[in-house]
Amino acid sequence: MAYDFSVVLRFQDALALGLWMTIKLTLICVVLGCSLGFFIGLARTSRSAFLRAVSSIYVEFFRGTPVLVQLFWIFFCLPLILGVELSNLASGVIALTLYMGAITSETFRASLKSIGPEQLDACVALGLPRRVQVTSVILPQAVLRAVPTLLSNCVSLFKESALVSAVGMADLMFVGQNISNNTARPVEVLTVVALIYFVIAFPLTRAVTLVERRVLAKLAI
Amino acid sequence: MGYSFDFRSVSFGPLWEGLIVTLQLTVAANIIGVVLGFPLALLIMSRFAPIRLPAMLFVEFFRCTPAIVQIVWFFYCVPMLFNVFLGSMTMGILALGLNLMAFNAEAYRAAIQAVPREQLDAGIALGLNPLQRTLYIVLPTAVRASIPVLLTNGIGIFQQSALVAIVAVQDLMYQAKTLATETYRPIETFTIVALVYFAVSFPVSQIVGYLERRRQLMMS
Repeated sequence: MAYDFSVVLRFQDALALGLWMTIKLTLICVVLGCSLGFFIGLARTSRSAFLRAVSSIYVEFFRGTPVLVQLFWIFFCLPLILGVELSNLASGVIALTLYMGAITSETFRASLKSIGPEQLDACVALGLPRRVQVTSVILPQAVLRAVPTLLSNCVSLFKESALVSAVGMADLMFVGQNISNNTARPVEVLTVVALIYFVIAFPLTRAVTLVERRVLAKLAI
Repeated sequence: MGYSFDFRSVSFGPLWEGLIVTLQLTVAANIIGVVLGFPLALLIMSRFAPIRLPAMLFVEFFRCTPAIVQIVWFFYCVPMLFNVFLGSMTMGILALGLNLMAFNAEAYRAAIQAVPREQLDAGIALGLNPLQRTLYIVLPTAVRASIPVLLTNGIGIFQQSALVAIVAVQDLMYQAKTLATETYRPIETFTIVALVYFAVSFPVSQIVGYLERRRQLMMS
């Protein structure tokens, strides 16, 4: 059987729309998920046992179950429990944000842990209020240390976002599968879809390595 | 709206069968990943570019594309490209196994690079040939050092294995989807299934945490 990659070109607009959906979803969830993750990371290191317990259960649960199951749960069960209709995009955003929040909170927790106790002692000695300790001392250092891992979390999220195709959201994977089913040319279409994901994710992973080296060099001073 | 829960309508028979399939997939993929990941790591680290580059491309490709794309690609394209028709279980194992192999190769590579230079020098001084050095010095040290990451990757593949439900392998997730549609009880079914996945992953991730803490204590 001859392979004809020009099939893909005919559907380039549809694929571009799908890619845009994938990127939009990823960007929204990166922003929301990182913010959520930072607060969860703080909650996990908090002095209150209640906050620690709740945040640990959340993180362990989302890290311990497949993202696909989480997606299905949020798509099919959340509307029933809340009694409101959720749009596809809203459900996708909720599911991926909760997932991203769980994995980035671990990143933030590790970077918070790496800030030595002597820094907090210094803050106390300077009489800084708790809020200033967090915003001016802990946050900048924690974020700097977390950046490389956060970037690789973003790459993971970008890849996991392909799962929303399974619940019928029109992202790159969904569009690709549709085209491949309708044209009966899975080899060409699916290969191109895989290549598109690769072309975006691969440079990002290289960037992670570069940033990692930068940050390490900066912290080593 | 008050939702009345009814967990009795969830039949555990199919879910149990699904879990067995999921565990079979996980174990088989892990055997492929753990065993073949090591030689792949050696290939990535080869000084000879025609060996290194294809191996690196293989690893990067699996690490930089979504697992669902890989699995769907595998199920649709491998039979067409190579004209082979394997059972869906075999295909699932191969797709997951190759994915895990790429991730484990990276874990092994990091561990191999962490093998102290002196140990290899000692190996040369003792007159061991490169194969013996790899088998008796690099392999035991690197494998022991990479156990936490291998376990994390292994549990990752246990979770990723839920994806094969999309291509109709009858694993836990597939049974859950069928059951949820048949009984109109998605909340109960998916909650139970999520708990089942969690009950398997959580203990393993606790073991990983324990191993890592012990290792840090040993290092300090």
